[in-house]
Amino acid sequence: MIPIGHFLILSAMLFAVGAAGVIISRNLLIMLMSIELMLNAANLAIIAFSRMNNIVDGHVFVFIVFAVAAAEAAVGLAIIIMIFRNRESINADNFSLLKR
Amino acid sequence: MFETLFPILFLVGVAAFIAVAMAGASIVFGRRTSEGAKYEPYESGIKPKGDTRGRFPVKFYLIAVLFILFDIEVVFLYPWAVIYQKLGMFGFVEILVFIVILLIGYFYILGKGALKWE
Amino acid sequence: MPDYNLRLIIPEIFLFLWALFIIAFDLGTKRKNPKLIGYLTMGGIAATAVLLYLYHGGISFNNMFKSDPLALFFKVIFLGSAFMAVGSSFDIIAQKIKNHRGEFFGLVLFSTVGMMFLASAGELISLYIGLELTTIPLFILAAYYKDDRISVEAGLKYLVIGAFSSAILLYGLSLLYGLSGTTDIVMMKINLALLYLNTNGIGWALLMAIVMVLAGIGFKLALVPFHMWAPDVYQGAPTPITALLSVGSKAAGVVAFMRIFIDGLYGFADAVMFPLDWGNIVAVLAAAAMILGNISALRQKNIKRMLAYSSIAQIGYVMVGMVAVSELGVGSVGYYMFIYLFANMGAFAVATIFNDNTGSDSIASYAGLSKSSPMISAFMAIFLLSLAGIPPLAGFAAKFFVFAAGIQAGYTWLVILALLTAVVSLYYYANVIKMMYFAPDNPTIKLNTPLSANIVLIIGVAGLIIFGVYPEPILNFALDTARVFGF
Repeated sequence: MIPIGHFLILSAMLFAVGAAGVIISRNLLIMLMSIELMLNAANLAIIAFSRMNNIVDGHVFVFIVFAVAAAEAAVGLAIIIMIFRNRESINADNFSLLKR
Repeated sequence: MFETLFPILFLVGVAAFIAVAMAGASIVFGRRTSEGAKYEPYESGIKPKGDTRGRFPVKFYLIAVLFILFDIEVVFLYPWAVIYQKLGMFGFVEILVFIVILLIGYFYILGKGALKWE
Repeated sequence: MPDYNLRLIIPEIFLFLWALFIIAFDLGTKRKNPKLIGYLTMGGIAATAVLLYLYHGGISFNNMFKSDPLALFFKVIFLGSAFMAVGSSFDIIAQKIKNHRGEFFGLVLFSTVGMMFLASAGELISLYIGLELTTIPLFILAAYYKDDRISVEAGLKYLVIGAFSSAILLYGLSLLYGLSGTTDIVMMKINLALLYLNTNGIGWALLMAIVMVLAGIGFKLALVPFHMWAPDVYQGAPTPITALLSVGSKAAGVVAFMRIFIDGLYGFADAVMFPLDWGNIVAVLAAAAMILGNISALRQKNIKRMLAYSSIAQIGYVMVGMVAVSELGVGSVGYYMFIYLFANMGAFAVATIFNDNTGSDSIASYAGLSKSSPMISAFMAIFLLSLAGIPPLAGFAAKFFVFAAGIQAGYTWLVILALLTAVVSLYYYANVIKMMYFAPDNPTIKLNTPLSANIVLIIGVAGLIIFGVYPEPILNFALDTARVFGF
């Protein structure tokens, strides 16, 4: 049996990669993918804790997070397509009309 | 520990050996030509039309998003299916409500014409 | 057999079905009747309030859903903010939105259902679902003017920040779940306290969980340093949606904060038990919010941006009551949010009406408004003075109770700072009033208001005056909500 720490370290690493991706990347699609990575890192942690404590609440939590992530991705892609139609760009640096 | 992991390590070793050997053999014994046709996306067959970064209709995207949404909802059927015997009538009615809500969503996208191709 | 009492979620079920009905009705009638749909939506919200009065009190679904006084109080705020947002959006729907009218109202209702579930969450999973159901429709609504570059940009910013913050929150929740071994908030309180007392070196894990959850909810609340999205999104989103964001969604954040921090992390609020307590962290953030919000608001030229910074400052005042973690603290926060509902929704309703008639959001264009539309100018003055906390209006009583809670809990430095920044805030609120009343005569168009917007304005002014003069019933109700946490 693999000890719980391994899962938690992996999940922390995935979370850090995702967070770094959102902060560093200027491409909106990559930002969205990085957010999905963060959500899945949290999923991994939840499942690991769920096995550690021998309770199944965590599994339900993870299913819910899947559905939420799908909804977020759908809405996110729709908004990105909309902004691409308006501006012909998905580079986050180009969207600064609101900084005044 | 080593006994249990040995087959895996062995497999990794064999895989690495075969990969290196084949790539190496083709470098050592292979004959290199540099003709124009080599750098086409498809060496033989249809000639590629236009750029790979070209636009394609947004309808594809719409169908894809709708597919993701309806696909991911199926995940909720799995836990229900696992303990469906225990939940009995209560679980059945609950999952029916869930499906009906999904169905309303389906009729909504039909009504909006999101699935019409033309 | 699962423990379920469907009677308790009748209001939520009704509102959800009503949202579906609104969308279907709009689709069925070929979008001929934007006004009728608007009134149907308002009627649905009012009917939900009645159902809420009939069916409340109790716990269901194994603690996942708690219909307690706290939930009831905040649900009233959510329904009020949705009602007022819908009421002030009629002209926008008629003028700017051509072919997705039913969805606009439907999404507002879906978001409200999310807030209501969030207020009732007794458990991390339902809390997370509620939070997401609140936010995802708001992403779409913020970007609702499809062809307006500013609105789409606002939606995009809200989407990226909102999704990012919810991922951070989720990671924090996963740590709390792992440490306590339960998703039930009441059980979590007990398990975490036991764990902390019995295990050495667990404090850092706990602190990390607290910081992540705080960051996640801080983004929803626009608490400094998680506020940078707020001015941009508030400016770009359709104005009624800005109002909903600044009141409904913020109140949802406040109630989520209460459920997790005051209930679940109760033992870690003061420095005696936990050296790095969340009480002091939040107090510092509140101080930063008050200073930064008020000072940035001073130099804003756009009314929506000004109100955005003012709402950042207001959440700082709310947090003064929150860190008190006492009966008066919880009660005063509830009361503050209730009054904030009337004042802020009212101010944004006036901004909406002004924009519909003149197409401008700049404060300078309000010059001379009192000559052409004396009534609306007077209303705006009342809303702004209440936000500033001038005595006969309800905003004063709200600030007074929050500060009293802060003093009682020993956060005197925070309350002194709050008083100083409140004086600063008077300047920028008064600046708008000065523009409307004393600016050199600059003829403005006479504002036409639809009936529904008038209803909204009258509700706002009546609320501020009545609850300013006579705060007892609401204050008692708000103090009653503190019973939920055992104070």
